[in-house]
Amino acid sequence: MRTDVWTTYSLQDLLMFGPEVYLRLCVRLNQDFWPWQLPVVVLGLLVPVLLGRPEASLRRLAWLAIASAWVLSGAGFLLTYYSEINWPAAGLGWAFVVQGVLLAGLGLRSVSRPLNPQGRRFQLVWWLTVILLPWVTVLESGTVQALAVFGLAPGVTVAATNLVPGALSGRQGWLLVPIPLLWLTFSAATFWTLQVYWLLVLPVVGLVMLVIGYWLSPSPAQSLDRQSAHHDPAHR
Amino acid sequence: MALTRRQFVLGTALSGMAIVSRPLLANPSGTETVSAIARGIPSTGETIPAIGMGTWITFNVGSDPYLIDQRTRVLETFLTAGGTVVDCSPMYGSSANVVGAALENLQAHDRVFSASKVWTSDQSATREQTRSSLGKWGVARFDLQQIHNLVGWQGHLETLREMKASGEIRYIGITTSHGRRHRDLARIMETEELDFVQLTYNVLDREAEERLLPIAQDRGIAVLVNRPFQGGQLFRRFEAKPLPDVAAEAGVSTWAELFLKYVISHPAVTCAIPATSKVDHMQENMAALYGNLPNASQRQELVAYVRSL
Repeated sequence: MRTDVWTTYSLQDLLMFGPEVYLRLCVRLNQDFWPWQLPVVVLGLLVPVLLGRPEASLRRLAWLAIASAWVLSGAGFLLTYYSEINWPAAGLGWAFVVQGVLLAGLGLRSVSRPLNPQGRRFQLVWWLTVILLPWVTVLESGTVQALAVFGLAPGVTVAATNLVPGALSGRQGWLLVPIPLLWLTFSAATFWTLQVYWLLVLPVVGLVMLVIGYWLSPSPAQSLDRQSAHHDPAHR
Repeated sequence: MALTRRQFVLGTALSGMAIVSRPLLANPSGTETVSAIARGIPSTGETIPAIGMGTWITFNVGSDPYLIDQRTRVLETFLTAGGTVVDCSPMYGSSANVVGAALENLQAHDRVFSASKVWTSDQSATREQTRSSLGKWGVARFDLQQIHNLVGWQGHLETLREMKASGEIRYIGITTSHGRRHRDLARIMETEELDFVQLTYNVLDREAEERLLPIAQDRGIAVLVNRPFQGGQLFRRFEAKPLPDVAAEAGVSTWAELFLKYVISHPAVTCAIPATSKVDHMQENMAALYGNLPNASQRQELVAYVRSL
């Protein structure tokens, strides 16, 4: 197709679905996946606890849970449901799978030590995200069936796990940043165009989580919290 | 033929409107009608109803059974009210599949005037994409196959001519929307043999009146009008405002009907193809298929009124 043809399209022209159809994806996902949301959410809530445990096996389990949440969101919501109505979602679905693999690889490499000495704040922020953020789609749709569950819905999954890159030591955490940023940009543009302004909370919180993750980071170079530097001398 | 409850209610409402309404919009030329407003396709004389159905955005619902059933009800309402022209494109995601599913559910393949499009820069892929769309619709052939937004139009047009000559399609056309590339479209309309063009025209977007619609009249090209509600923007801007007096006197009770009657009252327009996902909106749209149309001075009054709001 000629380039000048594409330049005549606005974002709105390329978005070939309405808000109702998007929110129905959440409803269908919940219906088709029921009752597995319950164990997935419980495991999601346990992630920050497990990451702070001294047992390497439990931390390994936490990393695999985080990675699985990305793979499940990508293969489930994006590839199976969303890509039917919005073709870029297919590419993003595969990007989520790649992010899951990256998270598993980098996480299991760093499993030799508990993730974050600032665990209490990390846990609190994680739990608030996993518990409160899913209700945004309920507010927008008016039905509890549209609940955006962590591990299944990409927005909540990305927002919660955006705490992780900052918590990883060294530069490897930055490898985990591009795909979430891509998703945040894509979803924000989509929700803005659809004029579903409640849903904009998802990418906004996702971005805030990324910043908070680095703020809670133990590295003095990355953290605004001077206390964290004292608790992680090995990190320097 | 047994009438369903839905057919009976809609038929009664439309008949009632035709009976009780005074000469609609006080048309002095006396063209009051009680039957569906139909327009001839200049290249053959075949008539089609002046209100059709678009599927942009509204029918892209994926494989959601609940939404497919809803869209099936929308199509059913459209057909029951006398509509036939259904327009779709490969660009519209899963819309063609959903149209096909709805036609299958209603067993209505032979009740529609099927209008599809070719949308690819690969000018050798005309037949392949047409076959793909046919499979999704579940029809044996398209009544109208159009070139979407002039993309690769030279190559596609050549192939579409061959397909028309061999009876694979009945009519050929070319489309634009949002006022894009009107100069190019005008040149094509003036130099190529086309049955249809599709363009954007509504009470606010009136650029087509200057050149494209007169060319269509001169060259005997049927005109499908997309975005008659400006993609819903007209409702967002004017729905809360009162209808003009002339509409109330005439029994036109909704902005939808008024906007559509403005479009199809242009002598060059063959059919407007509004899209909707709701049955009640479809009923409002199809009300515009009945009654009289505004004359030239009344059209000007409508434009002036809308601009004044």
